[in-house]
Order: sequence, then C-alpha cells, then structure tokens
Amino acid sequence: MDTLTGVEHLAEPDGFRDFVEARSSALLRSGWLLTGDWPSAEDLVQTALAATWPRWSSLRRQDAPELYVRKIMVNTFLRWRQRRWTGEIATGRLPETQAHDVFAQVDARQSLLAALDRLPARQRAVVVLRYFADQTESQTAEAMGCSVGAVKSHASKALARLRDAPGLAELMTGGVAS
Amino acid sequence: MNTEERKLADLLHRITPEPPRRVTVEQVAYRLVSEPKLGRQTRGRESAAPRPRRRGPLFSRALAPVMAAAAVVVIAGAGAGIAVLANSHHTPPASAGGPASSASSSASASSSPTQTASSTQQTTPATGLAGAPWGAELIGHQALVQGSLISADGSLYAIGNTSTLDRINPATGAVVASVPYNMPVWNPPVVVGNTVWEVSSYNGGNIVLQGYDARTLARTSSLLVPAIGGVSIGGQGVLTSGPDGNLYVAAGETVAVVNPAIPQEIHRIQVLAGKTSSVAVSPDGSKLYVGTGSSTSFRLVVFNLPSDTIANESTLTSGGAGGNLVATSGGVWGTTGSGHSEWVWFAPNGNLARAVQVGQGAGGGLSSFPSYSGGVVWVGGTGDVVCASPATGQVLAKTDIPADHGVAQYFASPVVSAGQAYSYYQTDASQQTGLVRMTPPAACTGNVSS
Repeated sequence: MDTLTGVEHLAEPDGFRDFVEARSSALLRSGWLLTGDWPSAEDLVQTALAATWPRWSSLRRQDAPELYVRKIMVNTFLRWRQRRWTGEIATGRLPETQAHDVFAQVDARQSLLAALDRLPARQRAVVVLRYFADQTESQTAEAMGCSVGAVKSHASKALARLRDAPGLAELMTGGVAS
Repeated sequence: MNTEERKLADLLHRITPEPPRRVTVEQVAYRLVSEPKLGRQTRGRESAAPRPRRRGPLFSRALAPVMAAAAVVVIAGAGAGIAVLANSHHTPPASAGGPASSASSSASASSSPTQTASSTQQTTPATGLAGAPWGAELIGHQALVQGSLISADGSLYAIGNTSTLDRINPATGAVVASVPYNMPVWNPPVVVGNTVWEVSSYNGGNIVLQGYDARTLARTSSLLVPAIGGVSIGGQGVLTSGPDGNLYVAAGETVAVVNPAIPQEIHRIQVLAGKTSSVAVSPDGSKLYVGTGSSTSFRLVVFNLPSDTIANESTLTSGGAGGNLVATSGGVWGTTGSGHSEWVWFAPNGNLARAVQVGQGAGGGLSSFPSYSGGVVWVGGTGDVVCASPATGQVLAKTDIPADHGVAQYFASPVVSAGQAYSYYQTDASQQTGLVRMTPPAACTGNVSS
C-alpha cells in the first residue's frame, strides 16, 4: 500500500506553463549537449525550472526567465561535473561517417558528443551557451559568473580542441544532412 | 563570430536531436515538492540536487518513468494550483538502506557495492495482478532495464534503471546487493563461475569488461579488449559466454575470446562481414553465431568452432536492425523490428532464410528479447508470453497479455530460478513496475527434447 508522505498545494505562476511548453525542447537540447544523454538532460532542465518557479514573477518582470534557467542549468551542470567527474576521457576511433543516411546522423551525434566529452566542463558550457543557445559573451559571462575575458579564453581553447577532435572538422564543413 | 564559430554553431543546431519528450509543469511541481530546497537556494547555489548516475544509451527503451512511479500529480485547473501527492514506496534499489559491504581492494570507491541488510530489504508482499498471464504476482517494485533480467545459481541479476547492477533474491523480490553500473551498450549480465561480467565501456576502439563477485557484487576484475575497426554503434548483446567457460565479445570486425579466469584474451576470430553487433555460442560449443548489419538489415554469420570456418551466412529479409542473439540446440534466436515494434525470430541451424517469428513481440517502443532459461526459450512483450522448444522453435505454451484500462501491459521474457518463472513487468496505466513471479504450465518446464 502506498504511503502518502506529503500533500502540498503549489500555485502555478502565470505564464510559467506557456514558457515550459514553448521552451522545454530548446532547453532539453542544451541539456543534451551539456550532459550527453536525455535522462540527465531532463533532470537538469527540471532542476532549473523548479528553481525558477518561486522567482518567476520577478524574472518575468525583468523579461529574463530563460537567461535565468540557462544560468541555473550551467551552474548545476558544473557542480555535477565537480562531484561526479571520474577522470574518464572519451578516446579511440570514431565510426566512419556515411553521408545522407540514418547511420551518418547517429555517427555525427556520436562524434559531436565524443568531442564535447573531451572538453573541460567550463569550456563545454561556453560552447553550449555561445554557439547553441546563441547568448552573447556578456550573457555567457553573467550565466557562468566569470568575466567576458574568461568566456573568450574558454571559447578559444574549446575551439582549438574541437578543431582536433576526430571526425568533427568534417562535420563542421557540412558533411551530414540534417 | 568568425567563420569557424559560425560553422560550429551551425553544426550544433543541425545535428542536436529533438528530445524524445518534453518536460511538463507537473514534473517541475513534483521536483519542487520532493526537493523543496530547490526553491529556497540563493543566487549561485540554486541546486544541490545530486546528478543521477549516467544511464546507458538504451535506457530510454526502459519506459518506466520515475515520475509516474513516484508521484501522482493532480492538476486543479491550469494556472490555479497543483496538488502533488508524493508516495515513498518506489525507492530506487541503489538508494535502499543497508550498510556498504567491504568491497575487495580492487573495487574503487565509486563502484563499491551495497549489501542490503535483511532487516531493510525492500520486500514486498506478493500482489496478484488481475487477469495477468500465468498468475503473475508482483513481488518487487524495482525499475529495471528491459531484457536485462537473468537467472544464475539461485539468484536473479538485472540492470536497474538508476544505473546499477543488482542481485535480487528471487524468494523475496528484494535487491540484496547493488553496485553502480552504467550500461554503455545493451547487454544482460553474463555469469561465469562466481563472477558476473558486464561491459563497462564500448566506445571507439576499446571495450572494457568488468567482473563482479556474484554474491557481493564487489568488482574483482577489469579487462581491456581492443575492437579492431571500432565497435559497432548498433550493438545488442555483444557479450556472451560459451560452454567452455570463455567469454565471447563482439569486438569491431572480430570476435574476441576471453578466458575470464586469467582474465586475458586468448583468441581472436576474424569475421570479415562488417562490424559485429551480437554474439552467441551454441550450448555444445560447436557453433558461434555472429550478427552484423545496419539499421535496415541484419546479417548472420555462423562459424564452426574451434576451426573458425564459416558454416553459413544469411541475411534477414524482413524488419530492420537485429541482434540480441541466443543460441540453442536447434539454432539461434534474435530480434528485429520496425517502427516502435520489436519481435523475436528463430532461425533453424542459424539460417535466416528459414527464420520464423515467435510470439507477438512488443509495441510502443518496448523491447522483446528471447531468454533461454529452465530448458526452454521464453519470449515476452506486450502481446503475449510464450515458451518455445529450444530444438525446434515450436511454441509449447502461450498466454495473451490483457490490456490494463485500455493500455498495453508489458511482461519481459521470463527467466527461471528454483522452478519458478520471473519476469519484469510494467504498466503505464496503473503506474506499476517491478519483478513478477509466474506459474507457467507444465509444457514450459523444460521436459522436452532439446
């Protein structure tokens, strides 16, 4: 028999549902780029949205709920990596890519995740915020709690590493159909 | 942004996949209730929620949403309020109480097993499931990876949905030992002697096998196996054992044979038919079945052992990708499917041209894998549960799976321990999941010619 341990009534903030429905897909995709798998991405997004809920009214007034959610996602991700980092670095040969088929798409994603796995957590976070979430350098710096110079430095180092990642250079020149 | 940055941005937008499902407000509300500190933390310290252990790539196939199992969410009008009722009995096995056991010195802190003390075992009174096949009764509430349940030496082993390798007491349904384990490629545990083997890494040119003490699940062995040509990205059942006590691993364009007692690789078989994705060894050790293929076809190569000569090659002409090979005296069994459906086939003597479908399989993205246990082959899913002859593939008994309030129920292929059949069960309709005990008819007891 189930044991009820808590009954709580939560007031759903105005506009929160619309935001979740409209932006959860994009947030989940960012979470996937950060964590590399959907269950962790879902956990990351749920965590960020739960932290956003109590502050929703003021964030909405400032027209900045998404920036706040992404900030929490990145900081939570960085904290997870600090706690769970095992020193494992993805290495080894990557599967050959074949253009314009399902396998190629899967291979491309695998190559991308393998390349992102090789980045230190802060560089990975900068890549996701700057180049996927399309945030400015100052917005990225604000989200990560660092200077714009640090963002530039992380971005530069990340690009250098990605440039050398097996299979990624070809992908960046457009080798795989979407 | 410069040109290189624009190309990276384009790449990220182009190949980042769409999520399989969206986050809902109800899920967020549940998190807020179950982890109230999420809503209280100060700037920069928004969450102390621990990250779940990384799940394997096939985790999404195990459709047992933790949210559904752990909470009932009632929406009292959009925008008005949400009442969240949290219940507590679906505690993941990994977090079950009990002191940590004394792991062997080779076990790292991050993979120390948990021995569940008898006083805190999550025993569940057996609960009958109305209309369930073969009198199935729920004896545990674990969320497991579909198709990962095996039976060996009086214990059940399975991969938990919370990224654990679990040993389960079949008498009580309780998890009695558990160790963190991330499944990198779908493969049920393989027990050889006193060791449970699993694949801990399956990436690029390297495969890592790890052995765990069969009783305590303390890690005892670790072995690197090179994958010539890189591993297949479609691996399904890449590790098995033979009657010779050796492990057989799908390792790129080859199959590696490992003596687990040393543990060392002792032999390498060249397949020359693409990247290997699944392996099985016949019970008499005379045949090695190797699956290769793509997302649209599946090729089976049969080798004579120990000569390593090819006995037969054939291709599955229906369905898509295949794998999850299980060898019996009469041939080999495996899976294929299309769309969100999967079913099991039996190929007499390993000839796919003569393959026949066994059982109705599973729909809705659920998995249907064959299991060979208690002298017969079992096939579960959402349509029916069958037991079949390992010699001929003939169905010996079958039972239909009724719908639960109009929603399909899932019974994984059973395994047998101490004369009882056990299966993993889940239903989204009544939000139940866990281990069930079944009483199959006498025809399934294995007293057949094999």
